[in-house]
This record gives sequence, structure tokens and C-alpha cells, in this order.
Amino acid sequence: MKKILSILLLSVLIISCKSEKKEPVEKEQEVNIYTHRHYKPDQELFAQFEKETGIKVNVVNASADELIQKMSLEGEQSPADVLITVDAGRLVRAKNNGLLQSVKSEFLEETIPSHLKDEDNQWFALTKRARVVVYNPDNVKAEDLSTYEALTDDKWKNKILIRSSSNIYNQSLMASIIANSDEATAVKWAEGIVANMARSPKGNDRDQIKAVVAGEGDLAVVNTYYIGKLLNSKNADEVKAGEGIKVFFPNQEGRGAHVNVSGAGVAKYAPNKVNAIKFMEFLASEKAQKVFAKANYEYPVNTKVMPSELLQSWGSFKEDTLPLSKLGENNKKAVLAFDAASWK
Amino acid sequence: MLNPILNGITMKQILLKILRDSNKWSIILLTIVLFVSIPILSIAFNALNGPGESWGHIVHNMLPNYLKNSFWLVFGTSMLTLFFGISSAWIVSRYQIPFAKQLQWLLILPLAIPSYITAYAYAGFFDYAGFFEKIIGFRVDIMNIYGLIFILSISLYPYVFVASRAFFVNQSNNIIEASKILGASERKTFFKLILPLARPAFIGGLILVIMEVLNDYGAAKYYGINTFTTGIFRAWFSLEEPETAIYLSVILLVTILLFIILEKKQRKNTAYFNSVKNHTEVRKLELSKKWRYILFFVAIVPFLLGFVIPLLQLLFWAFLTYKDVFTTSFFTIALQSLSISLVSAVCTVSFALIFIYASKWNRLQFLKSFEKIGVLGYAIPGAVIAVGILIPSLFLDKSIVMFFKNNLDIKIGFLINGTVLILIYAFIIRYLAVAYSPIEASSLKLNNTLVDASKLLGKSNVFTFFKIELPILKPAILSGCILVFVDVMKELPLTLILKPYHINTLAVKAYEYASDELIAEAALPSLFIILTGILPIVFLNRLISKS
Repeated sequence: MKKILSILLLSVLIISCKSEKKEPVEKEQEVNIYTHRHYKPDQELFAQFEKETGIKVNVVNASADELIQKMSLEGEQSPADVLITVDAGRLVRAKNNGLLQSVKSEFLEETIPSHLKDEDNQWFALTKRARVVVYNPDNVKAEDLSTYEALTDDKWKNKILIRSSSNIYNQSLMASIIANSDEATAVKWAEGIVANMARSPKGNDRDQIKAVVAGEGDLAVVNTYYIGKLLNSKNADEVKAGEGIKVFFPNQEGRGAHVNVSGAGVAKYAPNKVNAIKFMEFLASEKAQKVFAKANYEYPVNTKVMPSELLQSWGSFKEDTLPLSKLGENNKKAVLAFDAASWK
Repeated sequence: MLNPILNGITMKQILLKILRDSNKWSIILLTIVLFVSIPILSIAFNALNGPGESWGHIVHNMLPNYLKNSFWLVFGTSMLTLFFGISSAWIVSRYQIPFAKQLQWLLILPLAIPSYITAYAYAGFFDYAGFFEKIIGFRVDIMNIYGLIFILSISLYPYVFVASRAFFVNQSNNIIEASKILGASERKTFFKLILPLARPAFIGGLILVIMEVLNDYGAAKYYGINTFTTGIFRAWFSLEEPETAIYLSVILLVTILLFIILEKKQRKNTAYFNSVKNHTEVRKLELSKKWRYILFFVAIVPFLLGFVIPLLQLLFWAFLTYKDVFTTSFFTIALQSLSISLVSAVCTVSFALIFIYASKWNRLQFLKSFEKIGVLGYAIPGAVIAVGILIPSLFLDKSIVMFFKNNLDIKIGFLINGTVLILIYAFIIRYLAVAYSPIEASSLKLNNTLVDASKLLGKSNVFTFFKIELPILKPAILSGCILVFVDVMKELPLTLILKPYHINTLAVKAYEYASDELIAEAALPSLFIILTGILPIVFLNRLISKS
């Protein structure tokens, strides 16, 4: 009994010790980050920021949906200073729910291209990912490919691999199609893709690439970021899968390839607003952008920084300069269009 | 209403009766009932506002699909878990097969692996260039509804196994012998007598299985199957309509409740009792060599499928990635995970005990019927419970903050939210049923003569409890503790939403990797979850065998 009690006491101690530190002490400089990103390079950047500025970085990791829900429930008392998501749609949602505030920062405004930030400066993109077509070079030639829209052509029947419509990158792609045409066209497009699918949507982006290599289909629509991850996998078979495909940037003759971003905004009721802006400026700085570009296979938003060698090897491309805020505005319409087209 | 005076009198009488019959336990019970039902009430209250504007769209385009898939999932998984659970339980308790003793606990081990991890492991196993393709030479697609039924069955059958085995071991000997004396065959004895009599036992396990199936999100999402629960998440996050999500989950909840009530009602019509008091353990049958190995094989298959294969896949992944994943912070996370699970388990069990005994000692009949509310939490998706907790607790926190600001001019932070307290509270609500069921079952079986004797000697309820009931209930309390511990170790959505800064759990860590498509990197934290789950399960089994 005594043993049990002492173990229990120890456990309580472990939890309470840890939680004591987090109580917001006003004198100590700190910044509270609600982030969907949980990558190793991010943690290194946070540590570097702490070291340079002496501002302590507190991190809450969860999916952006949950973080937004949390922030709106917390309201004025929310401890969040910065919200970081891995797509533009959710930043727009946060803005529409009144969870963000406009910030004044010459550096951010100058560094980040206008289509990659909110018109009221409520959020800024930090990194970019392109949603591209990858194909099996044995069966498909690059000349056969042109646009997202052309993927509905009959010649791709049972050839296309793409994941579920509950995925935000598919929703954003659909939102950009709606923004560039209208909802009826978008539903038609989705129906065309569904008709050409090699299998019913499942798995993640990596799984789509592997399915191309395994011969389940000839092309897949995936995020560049995951191609990078696959090529740098610890599993030799995955690397082989990544080497078995080629990258094609669609819509180069027209509006450009669809890009999505990872971005950040300052919370409406941020208790440490100044630190929050400092933190965001740090993440957009050349130094931090280099880390993003190098370690995480993302395209930097800071134009002074080059993408990693791997990303450069796929070639440069024209990106869709549709303001990203449109993605968020059309997100719900996109989901409804997917449902109407029975895209699982 | 016809006679206001008479009505007044009855009201008064009722009130007087309540006052007369209530004791301190009534008050304690009422407090606990309120404490437990706050999140559930706040969800129900929210559901009263009706669904959001996309409800019509969901009913038209999605609902038939959700219903169909969820139905087949529940049906298929039920059949398969019953098959795996009952067959292996019967074999290990009735026949002399090799390693029967080890199999008794090996067969429970799949419980230590969260089902979404099993789903990931199998997807990898059958993947392009996965082990299956390398060994067998072709690929099998497992990522479909049949695959999902398979995954959920092999990871959840232990619930049925444990319940049925307890029955087979303790209750069935006299029946078997009577049946044999009357000349019935082994097969007839099993199908006509044992199986019908074991029904309450394995149905209890099956209900847990069904709740887990309906609660599953990770596996269904990855396998591309739209179920009620994935629908709840889609309505909430993709359509941005929390009210629709809550509405959907209330429908789900009511369905589950109806199912439980129907089952109970039907069970009441048939009386199950075993009048012989001194049960003896089943005498094990000897078998011919051929049958020994056939039955051994049948019994070990669920263990191989549910534990060994996913474990090997995870070990392979962990071997590839451990250098990146295994850092010093990993230890901290593991330690925090363990501590939170332990504290939550002890709290939940204490709560269940107070709940059961306050209900027993309170004399107001109508309060006793509230007892079942405690079990509801297990049927509600974790993410929905989180909202049910956030709404009232944030209201409380905000009021406190405003009070200090307005009256005392002191600026304070949240007192409840973002602390471990709220997380543990959430776990109590979610897992009360898990601790409650074994303890309640055990306390009902308790022989009352000792308790009555103690009371006759003038000892109080509490004194009697600590001196007589607690020592007897110890195995049940410990098993409740262990089950909650293992569940909290695996828990994901509640932890994600409610956990404070700087506290991280292994399940969250595994999820972070997996959600970034780094499934191989998720293997190491998963293995730790499994490891911490195995030890208590082995211990639990010892306890059951002893008692």
C-alpha cells in the first residue's frame, strides 16, 4: 500500500512540477504559440528564437481545427499569441471568426508577396507547398499532361490516384477551381475526377505515390512537400517509390499551379502582441526561411531564399497568384461540391 | 391538476418523504451525478438548438452512406469479435492444449495496441514493397471496409475474450457435467447450453466493442471509410458547423442507448442463474494429438493477427527511425504519459467506488436510477466530450477572471482550463464506465452476510466498507484501475484538445508523426504505449486467475 501511495505521489509531483512552469508569469517575456506544425526544424527555430531574444516560446500542438475551436471558446481570455496552421483556409476561418488581429510590420509586408498574405495583414504565409501531378514515366509522357481540368479527360479512366475529400489540400484545390470558375463547373470537375479514379480514395499523399509506383494507376495529385518526405524516408523502399515518379506542374500556360501555404497570424486577444510580431518576423527572416527550405522540403516565401536543391531539381514553376484568402472563403462550397460529386 | 388541494398535499408529502429518506449519501450521490453529467448535459443542451444549415445537405448526400458503413462495421466487427473471442476463450478454458496457460494472457495483449496503430501497421504490412508482398509475392488491398472490419476485430476481440473466459472458467463446470451425464455430445453441450448461458457475459464485452467501433476515427479515416464518427468530424471541421456535429453525435448516442436498453430488456425475459454455490473449475478435456494442434492453432491465430504481426511491423519501423525519434525529451514524454494515466486511473476508480456505494447507501429510490448516467461518457466520441467540458469550464473560468478583474482589480489567468485538472476530469467522465462495470459486477456478487453482521454489531457503512468490502473488491478495483490506465495511455482526441502546455503524451507524439505522414516515425512512441500496456495486462490476468 505504501509503495502504491508513494508511486502515486511521485506521479502527481511529475505532473504538477511540469504544469507550474507554464503558469503565465507576466514579468517573464514569453510568447504562446498555437500551432498545427510539429516538425523538428520548427522546434529548432523556436529554440533559436528563445536564445536570440530571451523570449520563452510556449507551444500548444494540435490540429488547426481544434486550435481554432479552442481559441473561440477561450475568447478574450485566450492565452494564444500566434496561431500557425498548415493551410490558408483555416487562417481565413480564424480571421472570419474574429480570432486574429491586423498587425503593422513593415518587414512582413515587404517580405511576403501580396497574394500570400491577408489583405488586412491579419495573417502571413511562412512556407509554400504546390499541389502537383506526379506520374509514372513508363506509361505517361509529360506532354500528355496539361491542367487540373484536363485530368477529367476519358483517357485517364481508372488511372488517377487522389486522396479523400476530407483532406484540406484537396479542399483548397477545389476552392481555387471554384474561384477560377463557378460551383457548377467545380462539381462537374469533381465528377470527372471521380469517374477517372483508379480506386476509391484512401490513405495519405505518400500512399498515392506508392500506388502509382505499384501500378495501381498512372498519376496522382499530391503535395510537393510529401514527395520530399518520401525521397528522404528511412525506408529504402519508400525512397525507391519516390524515385519512380516524375513531377509535373499543371496549368503552366494559364493561371499556374495551385499552391497552399503554412502561415501564421497574431491572435485577437494576444497577451504578448509585441513578442508575437517579433516571432513572426523571425520566422519570415532569411535565416529561418533557409531552415524551412532546407529541412522541410517547403518553398520559402521570402524571395531572397532559394528552395532546397531537391525542389530546384523539379524545375521552377508558375504559381497561381489567386489571393489565398479566396481558398478559405470557398472552403465550405468546396466541401459541398465534393459531397455532391460523391468524392469520398 | 383536478384537485389543487389534493395535489398540494401529495407534493408536500413527496417532499417530506424525500426529506425523511435522504441522508448524507443522497447529497454526495447527487453531487457526483451533477459532476458527471455536466458535459453530457451541455452537449444535450447544445443539441436542442438543432443542427446547422448544412443538415439538409448531410441528410441528402451523406447520411445514408454513414449509416450503411457504420452498420456494416458494427455488424461485421461484432460477428468476428464474437467468433475470435468466444472460440479462443472456450478452447483455452476447456481443452488441454499446448501453452494454454500462456495463451490466457497472450490473447488479451492486442488491447495494448490502439486500433488506429494496428490499422497503420497493417497498411504498411500490405503496402507496396511491404512484408506481405516481399514474402508472399503479391499485394492484397486491405484499405477497404472489409479490411477495417478485420482490423477492428483483431484489435477489439479481447473484450469478448475476457468476459467469456471469466464465465467459462467459473460458472460452467456443473452444467457441463450435468449435460454429459445426460448423454449430450460436446458440441450439443456447447451450442445448446454453454453459449446461451454465457450470453450476458459476452454481450457485456460486445457492447464495449461496439462503442469502440463507433468511436473509431483514426483507422476509418485512413482507410477511407466514411462512418458516423468521420461524419461528425467532417461536419465540425470541414463544414465548420459544430452544432451539426453535436447533433450527429447525439443521434449516435441515442442509438447506442436504445441498443443497450433493448439488450437489457430482452435479457430480463430470460432468467440466468446458477444455483449451485461452490463452483469448481472446468475440468480440462484431453485431446488426441491432431486435435490438440488444430485447436491450439485456432486459439493462437487471434493473438498472432492482433498482436504479433502489428508488433513486428512497428519494430521494423522503429528500427529504421529510432535515431531521429529517440531523444531525451522522449523520456520526459513517456514519464508524463505514465503519470497522467496513473493519476487518472486512481481518480476514476475512486470515483466509481464512491458512485457505487453512495448509490447503495442512499435511500432515495429515484436517485438510484441516475446511477447509469456515469456510463454514458464511454459512448460519446472523445472530441465531443472535450467540447462538452470546454463550454461549462470556460464559462466558469471566465466568470472567475471577470470577478477578480471587476471587484478586486487583479488580472489572473484561467484557473481550470489548460491545467492537468481539466484533463483528468475529462478522463474520469470518459472512462468511468470502464472502472464502474467490473467493480459493480463484483459488488453485486458480494455475500451480504458479512456486511450485515458488521452493521448489526453497530459498525458504520464506511467502517464496514473499509474492513470488509474493500478487501474483497480489491481484484475488481485493480482491474478497473488497469483498464483505465491502458485506455488513458492510448487516448487521443481529449488529450489533444485539453492538454496543458509542456505536457505531452506518447499517443499525441505518435499522432503528430502519423498526421505528418511520418508513420514509421510514429512506431517508437507506439511501441512504448504497447509496452506500458502489456505489463498491467499481464498483472491483471494473474489477478483474475487467482481470484
